[in-house]
Amino acid sequence: MSWDKAAITGVGTSRMGKFPGVTSNQLAKEAFVNALGDAGIPKDEIDGLITMPGTTSPEGAKHYLALGELLGINPRIAWSISMGGATVGTLVTQAALAIEAGMASTVAVVFGDAAKTGGSRFGAAAGDDDSWGIWGMFGNAANSAIAASRHMAVYGTTSEQLGWVGVTMRKHAALNPNAIMREPFTIEDHQNSRMIVDPLHLLDCCLISDGAVAIIVTSPERARDNATHPVRIMGMGQAHSLQKLEKEDWWYMPHQREAIFDAYRMAGVGPTDIDVAQLYDNFTISVLLWLEHAGFVKPGEAGPFVEGGERITLGGELPVNTAGGNLSESYMQGWLHVVEGVRQMRGECGPRQVPGAEVTLVTGRGMTLNTSAALVLGR
Amino acid sequence: MTDLIRPVVTDNNRGFWEGAAAGELRVQRCLACDHLRYPLAPWCPVCLDERWEWQALSGRGTVLSKLVFHQSYHPAWKDRLPYNVVLVQLEEGPRMISNVLPLTGEDFAVGDAVEVAFDPEGEVTIPRFRVAG
Repeated sequence: MSWDKAAITGVGTSRMGKFPGVTSNQLAKEAFVNALGDAGIPKDEIDGLITMPGTTSPEGAKHYLALGELLGINPRIAWSISMGGATVGTLVTQAALAIEAGMASTVAVVFGDAAKTGGSRFGAAAGDDDSWGIWGMFGNAANSAIAASRHMAVYGTTSEQLGWVGVTMRKHAALNPNAIMREPFTIEDHQNSRMIVDPLHLLDCCLISDGAVAIIVTSPERARDNATHPVRIMGMGQAHSLQKLEKEDWWYMPHQREAIFDAYRMAGVGPTDIDVAQLYDNFTISVLLWLEHAGFVKPGEAGPFVEGGERITLGGELPVNTAGGNLSESYMQGWLHVVEGVRQMRGECGPRQVPGAEVTLVTGRGMTLNTSAALVLGR
Repeated sequence: MTDLIRPVVTDNNRGFWEGAAAGELRVQRCLACDHLRYPLAPWCPVCLDERWEWQALSGRGTVLSKLVFHQSYHPAWKDRLPYNVVLVQLEEGPRMISNVLPLTGEDFAVGDAVEVAFDPEGEVTIPRFRVAG
């Protein structure tokens, strides 16, 4: 039995790319208007506004306040949270639970960022009084490079195997008119791209983008009255490793497995029920870890699984990130993974549609490999 | 090398940096549960007891993960590219982010045994590592 106490009835995106002079809230407004249109509802049906502040949003945890004033919303529930790539899954979960509890009826879940124009570099050092910067350890690429280096040493995973993730995501982006990077590249291009933090090349890294996403969550009863095809929220899960060096297997992020299997249990499904997966891909290595944590392959087997790309592309055993992902579509911190999951469940994806897809897994992870969230969505 | 990143010295880490200057790699030992802790913190993350003392470690460890930075993220490191960063498993249990000397060295691998090396950097001595043996 799946959970099904709330549904997603609308998704909206803004333009994606680099837009000097356009604020993150302007982009968020675009996405919000598009999501309302997609759901076929007027603004006054929104009685919840929960948001993630962008990396360039000055408001921080008060972002909901600024955006609510700009959008003219006086909701029953409102807040902002920041969990990096796990935020969207967490906010959709909070919206769904608030609806089930009767605290809100229709919630807008919104994120906007002007990271490209704003020069966000995702290069901060972790650590407190003793910053990791004392040892030159900076940024999100390096955090994922720790996982990649260790995965390579323990399991024999290769840089070329990571490259196949990038090549395949780009191939999918070529089928998505909204993707920023649509020009195909080869494994040779991947190998020849400059090193950022060895073992990660430039083409192992996601984009930095301006853009916004809004998602409308409502009750199953209201969803039935909607013009568009509602997508079921079948299961939800979260798990976090808030400690880093104190946890021996922090680099492997085993909390991701707990988040996914909680979502599976709530949805009454297992890995073999997933028709298409939207796996948070800030860096190529992340896709390998999700494949292992979600039970599609055993630990250590994701490298061979993605090699050649056939298994994770359209027509393969498990099409992954059919819109191009953070790596090629746009870096919306995993929010577009939910959008693509919804569109796949509605069967709207045209040349990149997975035929007959009925269940999708959407995952996100953030901070210094710390936070994770998973959603199982259904047709 | 401008804008070197320095520790913000507090009661929780003063002994760590004084130890490094004296040629000793120290972490905190919880007086209630004996947990050896790093990163340095005001209380034990296992039992939450606030009583602790410094304990010197052997300085021996193993490379768990090895990175080489080719991208500059900070002015202090721009002129040192490319440089390595390692995750080290220390023999007594704690793990550290550090470097293997020389900083530009790449001739070592995950799994290699390393031992602490105290690297003077201006007025601070930074614990780094060398390949053992």
